[in-house]
Amino acid sequence: MTKKTLIKMSETSKFIDILEPRKGECGVFRFMSKAWYPKRTQTLDKINTPQDIKDAAAASLYMEAIIEAESSKTGASKESLRQEVLQHIEEIALDKKMHVIRWTGIVALKVAFKMNIGIYVNEPAVLKVKSTMGNNPVLFLPTHRSYADFCILTYLCYHYDIELPAVAAGTDFYSMAVIGQLLREMCAFYIRRTLAGAPLYAATLKQYVRTLVAKHAAPIEFFLEGTRSRSNKSLPPKYGMLSMSLMPLFARELADVTVVPVNISYDRLMEQRPYAYELLGVPKPKETTKGLIKWISSLNGHFGNMYINFGDPISVQEYLKQIPYSDESLKPIELQTLSPEQFSQVQDVADYVVGQQQANSVATISNLLALVLMESLMTQRALPYEEVLVEVERMIKVLRSLGATVFEDDVRKNVDRVLVVQDKSWTLDKDRRLRIISSEVIDVTDELKNKMKGHTLKAETMVNAIPIIQVQMYVNPMLHYLVPSALISVIVQRGPHTRDELARHYRRLRKLLRHEFFHTEKTEEKTFQDAFEYCVSNDVVGVCGEQVSVGGSEGARLRALLARAVWPALTSLLLCADVCTELQTIEQNQALKLVQKRAESGPYHPYCLSLDSATHCLQGLVLAGALTREKQ
Amino acid sequence: MSAGTESSPKNMSGDAKSSEQAANNVKKTISDKNNENTRADTVIKVKKTIPRKKQDLLKWYGWGYKDSMFTLNGDAAYFTGQRYAIGEKPLPHLKQWAYDNFRLVGDTQPKVPEPPTSFPESRLPGNVRQELEKIAPVSVEGMDRLIRAHGQTLKDISCLRGNSFPRIPDAVVWPDSHGQVEQIVQCASRHRFVIIPFGGGTSVSGAITCPVKEKRPIVVLDTSEMNSILWLDKEQLLARVQAGIVGQDLEREMRARGFTVGHEPDSYEFSTLGGWVATRASGMKKNTYGNIEDLVVQTKMVTPRGVIEKSCRVPRISCGPEWEHVIMGSEGCFGVVTEVTIKIRPLPPVTRYGSLVFPDWESGFYFEWEVARQRLQPSSIRLMDNEQFRFGQALKTESSWGGVLLEGLKRLYITRIKGFDPTKLCVVTLLMEGTAEQVDEREKKLNSIAAQFGGVPAGAGNGERGYTLTFVIAYLRDVGMDYDVVAESFETSVPWDRTLSLCRNVKRRVREECEKRNIAHHLISCRLTQTYDAGCCIYFYFAHNTAQCTDPVATYEEIEEAARNEIIASGGSISHHHGVGKLRKKWYTDTVSEPGRLLLLAAKKALDPDNIFGVGNMVFGEDGGEDTLVKSKL
Ligand SMILES: Cc1cc2nc3c(=O)[nH]c(=O)nc-3n(C[C@H](O)[C@H](O)[C@H](O)COP(=O)(O)OP(=O)(O)OC[C@H]3O[C@@H](n4cnc5c(N)ncnc54)[C@H](O)[C@@H]3O)c2cc1C
Repeated sequence: MTKKTLIKMSETSKFIDILEPRKGECGVFRFMSKAWYPKRTQTLDKINTPQDIKDAAAASLYMEAIIEAESSKTGASKESLRQEVLQHIEEIALDKKMHVIRWTGIVALKVAFKMNIGIYVNEPAVLKVKSTMGNNPVLFLPTHRSYADFCILTYLCYHYDIELPAVAAGTDFYSMAVIGQLLREMCAFYIRRTLAGAPLYAATLKQYVRTLVAKHAAPIEFFLEGTRSRSNKSLPPKYGMLSMSLMPLFARELADVTVVPVNISYDRLMEQRPYAYELLGVPKPKETTKGLIKWISSLNGHFGNMYINFGDPISVQEYLKQIPYSDESLKPIELQTLSPEQFSQVQDVADYVVGQQQANSVATISNLLALVLMESLMTQRALPYEEVLVEVERMIKVLRSLGATVFEDDVRKNVDRVLVVQDKSWTLDKDRRLRIISSEVIDVTDELKNKMKGHTLKAETMVNAIPIIQVQMYVNPMLHYLVPSALISVIVQRGPHTRDELARHYRRLRKLLRHEFFHTEKTEEKTFQDAFEYCVSNDVVGVCGEQVSVGGSEGARLRALLARAVWPALTSLLLCADVCTELQTIEQNQALKLVQKRAESGPYHPYCLSLDSATHCLQGLVLAGALTREKQ
Repeated sequence: MSAGTESSPKNMSGDAKSSEQAANNVKKTISDKNNENTRADTVIKVKKTIPRKKQDLLKWYGWGYKDSMFTLNGDAAYFTGQRYAIGEKPLPHLKQWAYDNFRLVGDTQPKVPEPPTSFPESRLPGNVRQELEKIAPVSVEGMDRLIRAHGQTLKDISCLRGNSFPRIPDAVVWPDSHGQVEQIVQCASRHRFVIIPFGGGTSVSGAITCPVKEKRPIVVLDTSEMNSILWLDKEQLLARVQAGIVGQDLEREMRARGFTVGHEPDSYEFSTLGGWVATRASGMKKNTYGNIEDLVVQTKMVTPRGVIEKSCRVPRISCGPEWEHVIMGSEGCFGVVTEVTIKIRPLPPVTRYGSLVFPDWESGFYFEWEVARQRLQPSSIRLMDNEQFRFGQALKTESSWGGVLLEGLKRLYITRIKGFDPTKLCVVTLLMEGTAEQVDEREKKLNSIAAQFGGVPAGAGNGERGYTLTFVIAYLRDVGMDYDVVAESFETSVPWDRTLSLCRNVKRRVREECEKRNIAHHLISCRLTQTYDAGCCIYFYFAHNTAQCTDPVATYEEIEEAARNEIIASGGSISHHHGVGKLRKKWYTDTVSEPGRLLLLAAKKALDPDNIFGVGNMVFGEDGGEDTLVKSKL
């Protein structure tokens, strides 16, 4: 292994570019056609083919019971319902064609080389997960930031001789010509975005997933966040898929399920521009195969690295310690569903996993550079190149002291590399000062106006906001390190507080921002403790007897950094609160528009235009009891 | 979306506690939603045959459907309506039979009562009623209360027809789920009112009749809305069913899916699963499917002290005394059975009837015993005495077997069973289920055993008639009462060795009691309806003309009491399947022994210390304690 591809970060972290050995023409072909004996997740008496799994799901007692109930409710004939179930299963179920996988692998590797991608994998972590496999189902739960997430773990598994994961994909792919089928043959299975109003479909999906978990000897992969996070930071998890997947454990059909949090970070998100627009309310175009091909062929250039980190495998059984008794166990095993207590355990697991995804994030030079750039944007001072390097070093220190894993060996070289990767967005001007490149003017046509989800923003607003939002997108994944300390700092800046007061205000703000900065409630006590100690020892705050007040000059720069970290979110929250207080009762969509309109008209951080943030803040206000939600 | 008024979002300083609550609420609604969506999706909603306003379909003053009854005041007797096989056909022999036995002349207008218009005030306080209404539908209407004030004992029906109940319930509530029952029971504990669980109201022990001296308000908890099949496991042949489902609905749903529960008490058109459990019911086809105690895998009961249910669904358990057997037979005194897991069976491909004629009761009896000894009982096997045989003939429609009674008998006598005395012969009816081979083989074996005891096959038609008449016989009492004849049945279980003498002694005792009271026209008859390894069930019918009686019901009750004393002296039991209720309290302690009685009191104290379920059956009096103790102090 050359120095170039090996960066040692700690005892258990060693990131290796798994594409490196494939460079060169015949390397790809030989690798993709090798004899392959993967490690399976569980040892079953019988290896079930994709068809076996479909059959088992269709013939299950549960489906039979659903059909009985549905037929008695609607009067539909059981035979027609049975047909419907079979159709749903066809729509959902995965298939596996090794030759398709191999050929796609070859094409994908070619594209990857065109894009100059590196896939850095924390090898010891992957090997650790692999070594624990064999006894029970394994769920891979990666973060979801890009379409690239869909195939990346499949490739990783091929590389490490792990059975290829069954990947849950949205039906927007399914409806794409050729691609839908292709992904299916590469072990993707499809789930509709909404199950409302389709009880038979919902039941079929539930049974299929449950059967898949119990009977498939490969990892099951799905995105807890449910959708690609446009903001590049964690979204609150959705609980449906995890509920379905853990059902066999709760029914004690299995002794355990292993859950593996996976973090995938990018030097550059392929979708960064569309995301920025989407955050403003400009909708994404519908996925089509044509669009995809066009897009792939535009993928020349430098896309930088992706970083895949596996968290410690979690034994759900051990994590939950005790699964409460439920009278569900009096039902036939296949008919058992989650009791409310069990469902809250699922929520607990999901929240914990998202926390672990964050904890296993990798701070890349893109993130660090974005932090530096944002600071220079806010202080309106473009930094000379050398100063940028110094600042990046400073950010590394700050983040490391807050517990982040920073991927860095040679700052100068990596900054140079990232500047190449991000050359459409960030650049050194003729004076070698770091600047953002303003985006091209977009034409706000009537058609676009109609499609815009929020307030109809002016073209000028968008032009100015887009590049900054793109910077923020790379700041965002770092925020979970900064936010707890930042809130303490911001609260104390309003005046001295006793520690108890401080803790109280902190808790309230955290709750209000729970959706914007997702975190697990359970560990909050400790998070606050740690953040407080951090603030004290870095002079962010000072303690004098009972009173906590603003720290000395030593902490000034850190205070500024921290304040900026939470500023856009706090502003969004305030704007939401203002709008709702004024109007008393308002439709959510209307509120979002008004918030955006206000954000546009005032001297606010451009990120406050984000509909995502506004939505999260409204949810936070509901959670804190300041707002109530009424169904119409 | 609306801004909260107390906590201003602007300074972000809402009351910490209320926001905590709000968070919990959010979590709760999430999980409730989960609950609804995922936990109820296998429920099979069952169409109810009997509406909530029972009186729209059922006779308010007697048994069964409104449109089904015997009429005598025409040229020939009829059974009205098309619900049963004998419906709308002349019954040319019935009037003669009624005259011969009771001197009943059906020429006068029947004394059908008018529905009452005034009812006792409901004692349920308005605020409690409102609280109940928040949980489930409630009615305080007189008619709704009246028709749930009673079961089907002679006394019940007599009080009903005369609108002379000393006490009727103060309200009726219709929960549709276990959860609602829990809430109602909690409400009762808070407000100290009495709950009587009410299934089909077919009780024949006084178990469902309101305790006369109860001072607290009485709320009848009608289980009929709890009639869903919660799940069905066709592999393990199990179903989880809400306890209020009526027998015929349950059976219809199962049959539509190729299964059967096979529990068919003669009341199964109207009685409920919960009622069967609470009374330890027995079905006609118990030989194949078992009695209720064999059918039930698990029950769930709401008591004032909480929900009692085993935490595992297992075929058998060794874990101390089986509490399932405390729930079974609890006669509404401990709580409400809300859900039951029962066994189901695939429908048999072949059902075949059969009949055998024996020269007399004794030879029929020994045949039954031998069949039981060899454990060759088909689904049902019943032996009818000569009176019942003749009554069966009297219920023939012209189209069926032709000819007048005696002619029919003669033909049988001449052509097939020479040597049988028509005033002595007895009939065994058979109901056989299984594959064609199994049924053939069984029939052959039964015929050959019958031959050993002098019996000869008398055809499938006679057997089938016997079973179809089962459900019609219950309608006879109403027509009897229309013309001053009272009728009732009582039953017992008895070991084989004492059966013959018991039947003889009881019949004789009843006749003597009638003679003492100058009751010239009466009928006492019996049949052997179930057999076991160690004995059988004997079912008596008794009817008499009440012309001589000043208080016909009291007279009847005296005679039945004398008969029960005779039964017990002759080695029979207090009841094979009707239960203790209020009618048979007197014999309870002697039956179970003193420690047994204490055990029952202890169970009551453990499950229902405040006597919420104060229906007062078995040893329980109106104060929740024992009647006998109160009496002995007086
Ligand atoms: C014509 C006729 C034929 C009959 N044939 C038979 C027969 O063949 N075999 C047989 O076993 N019985 C027979 N019976 C008696 C009667 O049908 C049974 O006792 C039956 O089980 C009662 O059920 P039910 O639903 O009508 O209960 P109800 O009469 O409503 O109630 C009976 C008792 O059970 C209690 N109870 C009812 N539901 C519940 C519940 N969910 N939870 C707790 N307690 C409850 C009541 O409080 C009461 O004490 C017959 C009765 C008649 C009138």
